[in-house]
Amino acid sequence: MPNQRQPGVTGRAAVTYTECVSDLANAHQSFASTAEEHLDDVYRYLLYVTANPTTAEDLTSETFERALKRWSRFDPKRGGAQTWLCQLARSAALDHFRAEDRRRRREERVAEPDRGTEIELPDEFGPVLRQALRTLSGAEREVIALRVVLELHTQEAARVLGISATACTTRLARALEKLEKKVRPRLVA
Amino acid sequence: MSPDLATALREETPNAPVELRERVTRIAATPPPLPRRTLSLRRVLVFAAPVTVAASLALALAVGIKTAAVPSKPATGAKVANLERQFRATDQARTLAPAPQRSAAVPAPSGRRAQNVQANLRILVDDTGDLSAATQRALRTTSRLGGYVLAVDYGTPEATEGTATLRVRIPVSRVQAAIVEFSGLGRILAQQTQITDVQQQLDELTRQIRQAKGGKARIAALRRQRTALSRRAAYATVAVDLTTYQPQKKAASPGRLDRAVEDATGILAAELAIAAYALIVASPFLVLLLAGLAGNRAYRRYADQRLLERA
Repeated sequence: MPNQRQPGVTGRAAVTYTECVSDLANAHQSFASTAEEHLDDVYRYLLYVTANPTTAEDLTSETFERALKRWSRFDPKRGGAQTWLCQLARSAALDHFRAEDRRRRREERVAEPDRGTEIELPDEFGPVLRQALRTLSGAEREVIALRVVLELHTQEAARVLGISATACTTRLARALEKLEKKVRPRLVA
Repeated sequence: MSPDLATALREETPNAPVELRERVTRIAATPPPLPRRTLSLRRVLVFAAPVTVAASLALALAVGIKTAAVPSKPATGAKVANLERQFRATDQARTLAPAPQRSAAVPAPSGRRAQNVQANLRILVDDTGDLSAATQRALRTTSRLGGYVLAVDYGTPEATEGTATLRVRIPVSRVQAAIVEFSGLGRILAQQTQITDVQQQLDELTRQIRQAKGGKARIAALRRQRTALSRRAAYATVAVDLTTYQPQKKAASPGRLDRAVEDATGILAAELAIAAYALIVASPFLVLLLAGLAGNRAYRRYADQRLLERA
């Protein structure tokens, strides 16, 4: 379930300097606890999206740096901290993919085309699941991470993905169908 | 989805490594930056909308109070001045403004020049008895002065109310006397006298007749024309409306507060009209802008999706 306990500074008018400092201190404390609580969620989500532990770690740091800068704008009334952090993580991941895309195109002008980033899922995944996840696209892994691994509600996952709840459900169903097709024969064998 | 698969996904997905946890803890330990006050579109709108409304109201109120402070000139005065200007501007036609009065002020037609004279009188009488007597007296006056009646329309649709419309022709030399007598039939509600000089037309016809070298038929036609013009100029047409209906009293002129409110409302209406006009003019551009923004957003989503599909 999403965490909706810590309000940000948004919507509160700091009347005096003391109150302002007190608000900031509270906000800082709440951010630290939120970061600790949702670090694993963000990392696991990014691990699915990037399928690369190193990139996922870098992007997780990047996500929390962005979150710290924007913490005053976080409004728990509009969604939980987990959803908000996943939105920031997705934005960081997309920025990373765009940068990679630009880099790859620059390099292709002067050299042989790159084969693309290898999918390097960590060993914690079993061989069957790792092999099956390799066949999925980033978008498919992403929806599985949000709905199955992080157990977000359909509405929350749809908000992170920027699509409707129906589209989210459809995308999840197709991704799971594809994953099961790859996993089931190996599990049976 | 099988429960085994869901469980496997949850259990096999690793948590954040210790190094990452330390990195994030260090990030979280740094003091958060002070919230920046950015001027977002929403904030601008929230501020600008009430300011615009307040400014519009203030402008309307200020103009309303200012104009209400200046006493308004009576409209009849302006009309009279305008008519006087018209009167001075032309010597061919002279029109006198209607002015309710006890006795008619009749402009004298020129005795030496041919002129078409037309007069209209609207006279109030007390009741239908007076209406009948006044109508008969007007007819007698017309005969006595050597004129004749063109038309009479007498009617009393109600027991105590009625109207009589007379259209008579009076010799121009006696039209002043006729109007004076008609004005004595009751109280004058309105009067209009119009004198149009036709001497120039007569002179022109005379000149054409003298210079005519054509056949007799043309000369005869010109003479007929001249005779008809002279006859028309010899008699004045006088229309007399006798009525028992009291004229409606003019509405009392509005007070200063009423005028201020009226002016302010007018200004507000004008402001609204300008705003509506601006909106109508700008709406195609706004639609284009919104469509562009929506298209850009859709393209970005599509591009993001493509990136994730390739990842």
